[in-house]
Amino acid sequence: MILIHIALRNLLTHKIKSAIVGGLLVFAALLIILGLSLISSIDTSMSKSIVNSVAGHIQLQEKGAKDELSIFGQMGSNEIGYIHNFAEIRKAIEALPEVAAVVPMGIDSSIVFGGNVLDVKLEALRNAVKAGDAKQVDIVRRHVRRMVALLDEELKNLKGFSDQEKMSDDMKQGVIDVTAANQPVFWDSFDQDPFAHLEFLENKIAKMAIGEDMLMLRYVGTDTERFRKVFDRFEMVDGTPIPPGQRGFLINKFTYEEQVKHKTARRLDKIKDRLAEGAKIATDDEIKQWIKLNRTQYKEITFQLDDAATADVKAALQDELQTKEADMAKLVDAFMDVNDGNFQKRYDLFYKVVAPRIRLYGIRVGDIMTINGFSQSGYATTVNVKMYGTFRFHGLDRSTMAGAFNVLDLMTYRDLLGYMTADKKAEIAKLQAQSGIKELKRDTAEAELFGDGAGEQVEDASDATPAQAAAVTPTDAPAAASPTAVATATPGGSAKLFAKELESHVYSQDELDGGVVRSAAIMLKPDVDLKVGMAKVNALIDEKKFALKALDWRAASGLVGNFVGVIYAVLAFSIFVIFLVSLVIINNSLVMSTLERTREIGTMRAIGAQRWEILLMFMVEAFVMAIVFGAIGCALGYSIVAYFGHFGLLANNDFMIFLSGGPRFYPALPGWGLPVAMIAVLIVTLISTLYPAWLAMRITPLAAMQDSE
Amino acid sequence: MHMATTSAPQPIVHLSHVDKDYKLGAVTVSALKQVSLEIAPGEFTVIAGPSGSGKTTLLNLIGCVDVATRGEVVVAGQDTGKLSEGDLTRLRLNALGFIFQSFNLVGVLDAFQNVEFPLLLQKKLNGAQRKERVMDLLHKVGIADYAHHRPGELSGGQRQRVAIARALVTYPRIVLADEPTANLDSVTGTQILDLMQELNREGTTFLFSTHDPHVVSRAGRVVRLVDGRIVTEPDEQSQSSHA
Ligand SMILES: Nc1ncnc2c1ncn2[C@@H]1O[C@H](COP(=O)(O)OP(=O)(O)OP(=O)(O)O)[C@@H](O)[C@H]1O
Ligand SMILES: [Mg+2]
Repeated sequence: MILIHIALRNLLTHKIKSAIVGGLLVFAALLIILGLSLISSIDTSMSKSIVNSVAGHIQLQEKGAKDELSIFGQMGSNEIGYIHNFAEIRKAIEALPEVAAVVPMGIDSSIVFGGNVLDVKLEALRNAVKAGDAKQVDIVRRHVRRMVALLDEELKNLKGFSDQEKMSDDMKQGVIDVTAANQPVFWDSFDQDPFAHLEFLENKIAKMAIGEDMLMLRYVGTDTERFRKVFDRFEMVDGTPIPPGQRGFLINKFTYEEQVKHKTARRLDKIKDRLAEGAKIATDDEIKQWIKLNRTQYKEITFQLDDAATADVKAALQDELQTKEADMAKLVDAFMDVNDGNFQKRYDLFYKVVAPRIRLYGIRVGDIMTINGFSQSGYATTVNVKMYGTFRFHGLDRSTMAGAFNVLDLMTYRDLLGYMTADKKAEIAKLQAQSGIKELKRDTAEAELFGDGAGEQVEDASDATPAQAAAVTPTDAPAAASPTAVATATPGGSAKLFAKELESHVYSQDELDGGVVRSAAIMLKPDVDLKVGMAKVNALIDEKKFALKALDWRAASGLVGNFVGVIYAVLAFSIFVIFLVSLVIINNSLVMSTLERTREIGTMRAIGAQRWEILLMFMVEAFVMAIVFGAIGCALGYSIVAYFGHFGLLANNDFMIFLSGGPRFYPALPGWGLPVAMIAVLIVTLISTLYPAWLAMRITPLAAMQDSE
Repeated sequence: MHMATTSAPQPIVHLSHVDKDYKLGAVTVSALKQVSLEIAPGEFTVIAGPSGSGKTTLLNLIGCVDVATRGEVVVAGQDTGKLSEGDLTRLRLNALGFIFQSFNLVGVLDAFQNVEFPLLLQKKLNGAQRKERVMDLLHKVGIADYAHHRPGELSGGQRQRVAIARALVTYPRIVLADEPTANLDSVTGTQILDLMQELNREGTTFLFSTHDPHVVSRAGRVVRLVDGRIVTEPDEQSQSSHA
């Protein structure tokens, strides 16, 4: 009616006021719409990232554990408890109609050794010796000798820095051994007793060179087959999945590239990626840093090249650099000094000539990896496990967070964990007895290792160091895990057989489910609401009196899961601020316009308008404003969201990729977004109208009489 | 003060011994002193007096937009001193019409809507009835052609005609006007006065103030104020010259 008419007319007449107030309201509505869709989209896509990669919808952990489970959280805070009756729990929970699967888990980090270059070369040397190929023996031996010399040099440098006193006895002995191996007499006598020499090198020297290949890997120990099937983001890149029930390790492609790849090659890759993004070497400090590292770390390449490879690479580099320089160090340095002009050519040359002659990845598919865990009981444990391949979490290939998760089989995980209750110990012993695996006693191990003719060698070389070394081979390999013998394999030794058997042993589902796990992921069926699922699971836990605590993925993923909460808070705060500002400004401008309209309002009062009618008029005006501008803001926000929802927003960093669950971010507005935005705008407008409306209500009819003074 | 002059039994306005004081800090200004006055239906009364004599104050009391400090103000049979704010507003809406010196039209509404406004507040007539009534009034004040012009598009005289139509649209018992011609040139002022006189002849009671002697000469009755007091009794002669 007339009030709406007056309100509209007022809006049109007082254009500046309307523009300011309208602008604010449009902005507020826009902010709410964008914010809401951002949050809800991040929430959905992040939930996809987290839920479908490692967390599942719900995580179970031991009730009353000291630390709350935090899948993406800090390492160290690891007292998340143990679940002993997983088999029973799994059966009960999977019986719920809402639940698709329950996957056992344990997340941990360990120092992992790939076979280092020295190991690889030593194996080649052993093979050559066995084959009686004198020429090959000579080539490889010279390379090994050079490596030992470099190692000796490195350790001497190291000695200068570190305090001799603080070195462990092992370390001290190791330094002495390396020095011994770097003597000409050691190499001169090689042909007389190649196997003794080899064993000395393998057992005493190789471990000293191990630092090069030390990795810190985060892994989830799990029923690998179930994991692969339940988490649909999981997909193999290279190699094969771990055969069901078997031991094995899968490296995340992201980690594989970032950490396992040859460092020089990796840096070249990163430079290439960065240049592809439009960066220029001349102006990018980080690229310059990488180039500098490539130039100074020439040893990463030269160390790995034997004589033949050195010759090939040298020729190629001399040709590329147009120089007669013969020193490989200088050649590599100069070659790696790339610029915007020659980068692509040198990159290609590197991959054509250098890469095939070096170990491009420290660990390759099929390699045996040595994982050094620190068991819960405080003992260092070492297990060897086969690397079956690499995988990625679909859409999250470039995310540091999801990319940090590797996959380890549950049995090996338990070995590493070293956690055993008395029952479990007995049970494991029984299981091992059943599957024909006997604990390897040190004395018998020795006998077995040097069974055929090795004993002879020990006696023959009793005056030489190699023999002494060989006599104490499987030093700290724990009984439960396979001996280090796999890495430093002795030909025909039963230890190798033992390890082989362990490697190919297929564990039954009962064995997998029977042992201890740290947590369990529950994947709900599609379209089951998380709250409903949570309630059902909790009800079951209560009913069965399981000592479990259920966490939804948000809580279980620690800080990352709370990230949405943080954005919510930030958004809520900015909306609050914007509303406060709007409140003040709208209020001010309405007060101004009220004062301007004093006579008009006084006239209306004089003519016979009641106070409440004036109030109503103001409220109608505010309402109309809120509706009109709120709608404009909502429409604008909706179009923006729809636009990006259709074309996607490029996720330009790791965290964004993780948040968006893929390389592009597709925001979407939840259904309740528009009404919420409208109501919020309405409330703000009505509140900011209260004071001016109150002022207007107090204008007396006298205001109409007072004449143009 | 009395009597015999007005034969009508029921006066529309009845003031007896009305004082109006304004307090300005410590100072009290007596704007009206012991004012007694009756306005009978059909009168065409002018309140005259020099500036500051209390004309506006008197009209405000009668118009129920202000209250007397002392004394009794009875409008349309109601003692205004005893009415609530809401009742006073209703009294203004139903019994009084206002014409302002500066016209005071609602700027965002056109002539028709301005005139219609009091009817909308009254909520007594439906749309068609309102339209008929409003157009009738616009015809009467001679501005029907401008029904859909906004005040900004009208001259001062035209605006005052719209204002007069608005004051009359509810058929008030009395129309109050504080210097209705003060913001108009003399020709237009005369025309407005002619219109008011004509409407008075058709039955509307007018009470207005002025200090223009020319306007005073056309009044049916003159109430002369000096310093807040009524100094001249209604002029028998001028009243008889009209009614
Ligand atoms: N709101 C007010 N506050 C204080 N004093 C007032 C107020 N309104 C009027 N007065 C005083 O009351 C007296 C009468 O004023 P009023 O406006 O009624 O005179 P008037 O006859 O209408 O004058 P004019 O011809 O100039 O309009 C004056 O002295 C004036 O100063
Ligand atoms: Mg006055």
